[in-house]
Amino acid sequence: MSSGAAVPFWRAAGMTYITYSNICASLVRNCLKEPHKTEAISREKVHFAVSKWAEGKPQKPSNSPLTLSTSI
Amino acid sequence: MAMSALRREGKRLFPLISPTSINATTARSSLVSEELAPYGARSISTQIVRNRMKSVKNIQKITKAMKMVAASKLRAIQVRAENSRGLWQPFTALLGDSPSVNVKKNIIVTVSSDKGLCGGINSTSVKMSKGIHKMNAGPDKETKYVVVGEKAKAQLVRDSKKDIEISITELQKNPLNYTQVSVLADDILKNVEYDALRIVFNKFQSVVSFVPTVATVLSPEVIEKEAESGGTLGDLDNYEIEGGETKGEVLQNLAEFQFSCVLFNAILENACSEQGARMSAMDSSSRNAGDMLDRLTLTYNRTRQASITTELIEIISGASALTG
Repeated sequence: MSSGAAVPFWRAAGMTYITYSNICASLVRNCLKEPHKTEAISREKVHFAVSKWAEGKPQKPSNSPLTLSTSI
Repeated sequence: MAMSALRREGKRLFPLISPTSINATTARSSLVSEELAPYGARSISTQIVRNRMKSVKNIQKITKAMKMVAASKLRAIQVRAENSRGLWQPFTALLGDSPSVNVKKNIIVTVSSDKGLCGGINSTSVKMSKGIHKMNAGPDKETKYVVVGEKAKAQLVRDSKKDIEISITELQKNPLNYTQVSVLADDILKNVEYDALRIVFNKFQSVVSFVPTVATVLSPEVIEKEAESGGTLGDLDNYEIEGGETKGEVLQNLAEFQFSCVLFNAILENACSEQGARMSAMDSSSRNAGDMLDRLTLTYNRTRQASITTELIEIISGASALTG
């Protein structure tokens, strides 16, 4: 089974299932033909601000890294 | 007429009364009458009432516009929220929903909105989260908050800022999509240690009713433990697993995917409830503005009419005094 062999690889690379499935989804979207492609890719926009808290205070907020568009 | 006459009389009397005895009250009343009718004015000025009416009218226009905007946004997002329910239902059928599970590390994901003016939906989800926090408090237990949205953050900072682990804002700048929420879910999973994630959100039922809801996502280890002890999770062994993965791996994948799906649905439902609540809040506030406007118009017209009557009486009595 191909998926059976693939599991340890992406898990070993520090990815969660969510990241893995998002990368797969992004690849599928890239396979679409033109009018549908831009529309589908527009659903990939990721924007939010995350800040970790320590000692009851927010740390410097970081905009989320665009893991999808940069990694592929 | 009598009123304005009295007020003028009071003005004339004012310096005669000793200022120390009724200092505060007279000072205020003299100030008010000064504002309404300057010294020597014929009748009460209607200027202030007119200004007030103008501002109420403008506020009413704004709230009406906000209601329209919320209504159109609601229509778009309601369809998506209802469609997204299909994402978590299979998980609940497979893994069950166990809000009463008793584990050590709890993470409460409070979903709220970034913007205000939407009734009490943010307060209800914060109250619910605090209740769950209390329920899961114990000597060897650890309960933390992950806060989605500006408003719940502002409320939780007041008394439980020590327990906030991560806060997420600006989620709704772009239209919500699954990719965005799943990246967010990924960020949460990577940054916290958990045995159970409890997602608190407002489930959308209709434009006027939202049910505060808790969805529980267990960590793979806890699922396995629960499955051994039986219950609904005991049926998990009946499933045949294809491929070379072990049950633990499958469960871990499932738990991660379940979390992102449940969070996606929770955020959509909450956004939908937000628009619905904003719609009804804006509806009632424009109705209130209308009521207020009616009352002010009545006062304004009555005062105007009174001053006209006064003037007429003065003219007529003056004329009759000359002829008579």
